[in-house]
Amino acid sequence: MNWSSLLFLLCSGFAGVFAIAVVLSNNIVRMAFYLVLSLAATAGLFFLAGADFVGAMQLMIYVGGTLVLLVFGVMLTAQSQFVSMRTSSGELLTALMLGGALLFVLVFTAMNVPMWQPTNQPSVSEDTPVLTATPIGMALEGYRVDQLEQPNPSLRRGMSGYLFPFVIVSVHLLVVLVGAAYLARARRHHTESA
Amino acid sequence: MPILASLLTEPIGVAHYMVVGAVLFVCGVVCMATKRNALGILMGIELVLNGANVNLVALGSPYLRGESATLMLDGQLMAMFVIVLAAAEAAVALAIALNFYNNFGSIDVDRANQLKG
Amino acid sequence: MQSARHSTPMNPATTLPTILAIAWLLPLAAFALVWVGYSLPQMAGGRASYGAQRTAGWLATGAIGTSCVLAIVALIIWLTQTAPHEVATVHETAAAHQAASEHMASPPTSYSGIYYTLAQFGKLRISIGYYIDALTIAMFALVTLISTCVHIYSMGYMHEELEDMVDREIATPDGNYYHRPGRYHRFYQYLSLFSFSMLGLLLAGNLAMVFMFWELVGICSYFLIGFYFERPSASYAANKAFIVNRVGDFGMLIGLMALWSCLGTLDFGDSNTPGMFSQLRSEAHQYELDAAAMGSESADTNYLLLFVAGVGLFCGCVGKSAQFPLHTWLPDAMEGPTPVSALVHSATMVAAGVYLVGRCYPIFVPEALLVIAIVGAITLTLAATIAITAYDIKRVLAYSTISQLGYMMLALGLGGWAAGLFHLITHAFFKSLLFLCSGSVIHAVHTNDMRQMGGLRHKMPWTAYTMLIGCLAIIGAGIPALGIGLSGYFSKDAIIEQAWSFARVNESSGYQLLMWLPLGGAFITACYMFRLWFMTFTGMPANTERYDHAHESPRSMVGVLVLLAVFAVGVGWHVPGSKLSVTSLLERARPAGTLETTTGTWLPNLTVPDEHLSHEPQIAIPAGWSAFAMAMGGLLLAAIIYVWRWLRAEEIQQSFSPIHRLFVNAWWFDQLYDWMFVRPALWKSKFFAGIDRYVIDPFVNLLARGTAFLARALDLVVDRKAVDGSINGLARLTWDFGNSLHRLQTGNLRQYVVFIVVGLLGLFAAVSLCWKYALAG
Repeated sequence: MNWSSLLFLLCSGFAGVFAIAVVLSNNIVRMAFYLVLSLAATAGLFFLAGADFVGAMQLMIYVGGTLVLLVFGVMLTAQSQFVSMRTSSGELLTALMLGGALLFVLVFTAMNVPMWQPTNQPSVSEDTPVLTATPIGMALEGYRVDQLEQPNPSLRRGMSGYLFPFVIVSVHLLVVLVGAAYLARARRHHTESA
Repeated sequence: MPILASLLTEPIGVAHYMVVGAVLFVCGVVCMATKRNALGILMGIELVLNGANVNLVALGSPYLRGESATLMLDGQLMAMFVIVLAAAEAAVALAIALNFYNNFGSIDVDRANQLKG
Repeated sequence: MQSARHSTPMNPATTLPTILAIAWLLPLAAFALVWVGYSLPQMAGGRASYGAQRTAGWLATGAIGTSCVLAIVALIIWLTQTAPHEVATVHETAAAHQAASEHMASPPTSYSGIYYTLAQFGKLRISIGYYIDALTIAMFALVTLISTCVHIYSMGYMHEELEDMVDREIATPDGNYYHRPGRYHRFYQYLSLFSFSMLGLLLAGNLAMVFMFWELVGICSYFLIGFYFERPSASYAANKAFIVNRVGDFGMLIGLMALWSCLGTLDFGDSNTPGMFSQLRSEAHQYELDAAAMGSESADTNYLLLFVAGVGLFCGCVGKSAQFPLHTWLPDAMEGPTPVSALVHSATMVAAGVYLVGRCYPIFVPEALLVIAIVGAITLTLAATIAITAYDIKRVLAYSTISQLGYMMLALGLGGWAAGLFHLITHAFFKSLLFLCSGSVIHAVHTNDMRQMGGLRHKMPWTAYTMLIGCLAIIGAGIPALGIGLSGYFSKDAIIEQAWSFARVNESSGYQLLMWLPLGGAFITACYMFRLWFMTFTGMPANTERYDHAHESPRSMVGVLVLLAVFAVGVGWHVPGSKLSVTSLLERARPAGTLETTTGTWLPNLTVPDEHLSHEPQIAIPAGWSAFAMAMGGLLLAAIIYVWRWLRAEEIQQSFSPIHRLFVNAWWFDQLYDWMFVRPALWKSKFFAGIDRYVIDPFVNLLARGTAFLARALDLVVDRKAVDGSINGLARLTWDFGNSLHRLQTGNLRQYVVFIVVGLLGLFAAVSLCWKYALAG
């Protein structure tokens, strides 16, 4: 039992427990709070897996951006009758049973693929820090600095990284922002008190 | 299932991350299926996307898998795209939810059954 | 076979038959005395006084108590006087198992002989004989012990019968309740007769004698179910039990005939002539099942005969042990007094079917075992699903009994001989405990309906907590990491391990179900048992009037509950400081040659694994943990619904109403049988009565009308039906199809999510069923 295993257990425990708390909680405000904690713990998992840049992005974009957006949504709509809404027990039970079955299937599969079993020969030892910010930045620019010694010629020849997807995602983001602003603009004359 | 018996002694592997990912994923799905608040459903979606992200990062981690098997940066790049698209999705979905709220005076998705056949 | 010879002065070969015969005949003597002394005078118009009736009770209790002491003496003699097989226990290594298997390849110690020969026709002999091995001894001790407990308990429970009895279930036309003289002595008379018959069934040395006592316990069961025969429901239930059992006995007779005509004997052991077991599994064949012993020319015919004999015998067990499809009689049998339900309809008589399968285990071919396993698996699931919706406390327990018997049959069918019989023994203790507790509750609140109870643990703590022990035992509560638990933990684990081991060697997905069904059953078991306990003993009293009148039962009843609770906890344990336990005792009776991995002849890919393989850690650990997780999950669900009330039972019923209706109506089996067997008889009679009116008259009319019809038909068929109809039909088809699909489009977002998950799971199940690598693991 070393430090990384311990930290993994800690982070995964937090992530799982708070995710379950999101499901079980009935109050939308609390759910948002639990979700923040769960996502932050997931960022910890990313750091542990050696994905420092993704972990940081998770914290900044997800926890800092997306969730703040969600919390705004909660605050805008948090009238008392919508803060906690009960679901009928039958639906809850169906969802829990199906969820249990799904969990079983996923865990069973995860456990039974030999390739995913713990290995004693990782690509790098735990003492070697792998910094990923620069390679990721280069990959988004189109250059795979991490694949220069790639033995597989078909992968090496391309080496073009993710420039094209990056551009598509950028355009997509722009469109989405415009669309969101259009959809959410205030139209007071349509508002009726239901 | 030998991994269950020796959960604490083995070095952490991809399977461990996959289990965490599965828990997050299932929590998200159950959240989507049971919450009546539109924002609750959004939160469920975020959890599902995170479960997927955990898997992607784990498969790309050099600490967890051998040289030949790991996805290295590809996994992390995919995770990046997922995070960014999730942000976009959250913005649009929130806009839709607010619009719904303005029009119906409610955030209960059970009242949004206009698609009923 | 008198294989154990000792120079000690007390030779078990002679002492054991004598002791057990006395223990067997004592209840008969009590029955005869009570009959001559009390029932005959009453029939002649006399009336037994209060004191005299009590004496009758003491007489019967004394007799069975003495039997119990004798049975325990016999058990001690057996343990000290016969050479113990050193058998492998759960925690030993594979090498030790191997050694044990080698060792077990000899027949177990047994004593067989004849008390009295009834008749002899040439080679065929009908006799009152005995066959005593460790299984007989263990079952003898069990039956006499539980029977004694029930006798003592009944003194408190049946005290109303001592004087003139007012039956509140029956209203006379003048608006009063029905009055009748008490029948205390008659109750004890039947109980004694039952004890005698059951012990005879256990002691029997041949199948003919087994059949005789089999019918005798059936009759006792009929008497006891119909104890309140003035109630129409009771007499109906008694008839139903008797008739349904006859259906099974028909199959049993076929099995007996197949064995008798082929082997020329029905004896279990060898006395002068070789018995069934040594003919079918002879030493010359290394105790492997040898179909050639059936004596016909072709090997296929021999195997078929053996299969028919096995399935035929099992048919009888299906009737007696209330297995699917003949399980419908047992829930109705709860019309009898509760002590009877505890003794006859849960602990002993219904377990006789399991006992017989275990006793005749050497004659079952693997295909016959597969039939047993499938029937057991269906039964255990079916009954468990019905139990979760029942509100009658005794019916819940009755369905639970059926389900547990299904577990035992499943274990026997999968090759788990010791597992099945071990569960039979532990189940007898905790189920009789549960029934007696429910009796105590019914005695206190005068209703069977759990919706009328609640909060009773404050009023009757002894009953509540002994019943909690029973519930924990039946769900198999224990700590897998430490290997300690209540009795049910050991026996249910043994069954799940055997199922797991079976599923490992049989890859095909149909066989996998035989592992998943008992696992799912463990979940449902925990759910309905704790639903029962929570509804009865916790929460707020549902009916304050009944609650206020409730009281703890008299000391004789509570004492029995505590005694049984002690057994329900500890009967699965080893005797401290030795290797002795119920399992090791049973292992001493294991039939020769049944501890081997065998494969089917007709189904070559059917493998019945060696039972000791199931105790290997790579099977025992995952099986134990999954069983544990299932039981805890069920308990949690029951707690969520009935203690913390996060989910509301009524809402769940509403949203699953089709399934709920299916379960509440017990899968419509009673209606199905009514429709399949009762109605056709009525229809047939109507048919013959009306044959004149409906056949001869219409025939004449038909000729006349036929001509007119033919003319019109040409016009109608060609023009309107064929041309118009095909186009209209197509239109309607499209319309209907669209209409049927529109129900799916509920417009409910969350339902769509559920559909996606269902689709995903369905896809996964389909892929793993058709493609080997996914779930087969």
